[in-house]
Amino acid sequence: MNTDPDVVRALFASHYFLLAFLSSLGTLQIAVANAGTRGLWMTPHAGMTRLLGIVLVITAIVVFFLQPLWVGGPWAAGSVEADSLLRDWGTASWDEIAGARNVNDIHGGLDGVKQAFWFSLAAISAFLVSAIAGTVTMNVIAFTEEQARKTSSLDESDGLEGLVHRSYFSNLPISFRNFKSEIVEVWRSGTRNSDKWSLIRSVFSSSSK
Amino acid sequence: MTSIDANIVIWLNGFVGTVKVFDDLIRIIASDYLMPLVFSLGMLGLWFSGTSPVQRVKYQLTMLMGISALSIANIVVWIFNLAIERPRPFVEYGDQLNLLFYPPTDPSFPANPVAVGFAAATAAWTINRKFGLWMYGAAAVFGFSRLYAGVFYPTDIIGGAIVGIATYGCTTYLRRFLEPIITGFVRLIRGLSAA
Repeated sequence: MNTDPDVVRALFASHYFLLAFLSSLGTLQIAVANAGTRGLWMTPHAGMTRLLGIVLVITAIVVFFLQPLWVGGPWAAGSVEADSLLRDWGTASWDEIAGARNVNDIHGGLDGVKQAFWFSLAAISAFLVSAIAGTVTMNVIAFTEEQARKTSSLDESDGLEGLVHRSYFSNLPISFRNFKSEIVEVWRSGTRNSDKWSLIRSVFSSSSK
Repeated sequence: MTSIDANIVIWLNGFVGTVKVFDDLIRIIASDYLMPLVFSLGMLGLWFSGTSPVQRVKYQLTMLMGISALSIANIVVWIFNLAIERPRPFVEYGDQLNLLFYPPTDPSFPANPVAVGFAAATAAWTINRKFGLWMYGAAAVFGFSRLYAGVFYPTDIIGGAIVGIATYGCTTYLRRFLEPIITGFVRLIRGLSAA
């Protein structure tokens, strides 16, 4: 292949990010629908949210593996041959599509570290999109903002538990306030109850002596 | 042992070309992207799957251990690769194999992708037996696809699975050294309404 591996890598990174983002969004929707975490639902109904999640995951995978049919890359003429070094740049044919994505990372494919980086970024983006969409959804479903306000004044649950009946942006200040008030005690009791092998416990006990 | 190993790869890879659809399916499963994505999505899904605060903390601590085990498994495989430079099957028996995958340049033993898959599956299995078995199944299919494609020996796959499971066990044990940092980290994520 006469193409610069960095050009191939940039192409793979953009395609992989789309795959990871859509599939993460889909997985997140399935998980929060099953757990009843309404604040992250993208639709007003659990069943519809779950269905949307399944569709997103399948779409992401299908698009990723079929993309070489219409997007030029290192998968033309010879992509069914094992050695990714010998490939030409262009679109793939149906016969070659299954092996099109099998490009060695030294020739521009993504290695594990890069995949981990792009997946983390995509998962965080998927969470933020769910949080924004969930805020809109919470206004649509029977749980109106007024009810949410009433609930939030009575209920101090936070984190994902709070998202069961609150939107992300209503829940965030409560969660963070609870975190600030509890973290010192969490740290103290954690250090106290931790195993004797805990490095933190060792450091703190030696410094107190 | 190597000859039995080689015979299995050569026999299995001999079916390449018999059913094109199956070969194409193996190419997709063996890809660097599909199954690692499935493992990552499995862990992401479990993070958000708890239905009570106690269950959530348990799931999330286990997922953090799983993610750490994945990273450590890569390091363990790298150390093995330095110590045992086993050539890939297509290097030694290239004339008898039809490669379905690009020829990797790193040593064969143990299978890195299988180690990663089994580490993730073990993490999932500890909190949800049924889902964990599905993940083990996915990791095993991933290993089989690489074996059929002619890039690993059976003992590489078995070695990778053992490394993955053992690494998860060790990571869980080593967690005690870092407490309460790990529990505090989960508490911080909860403060950001994501745990």
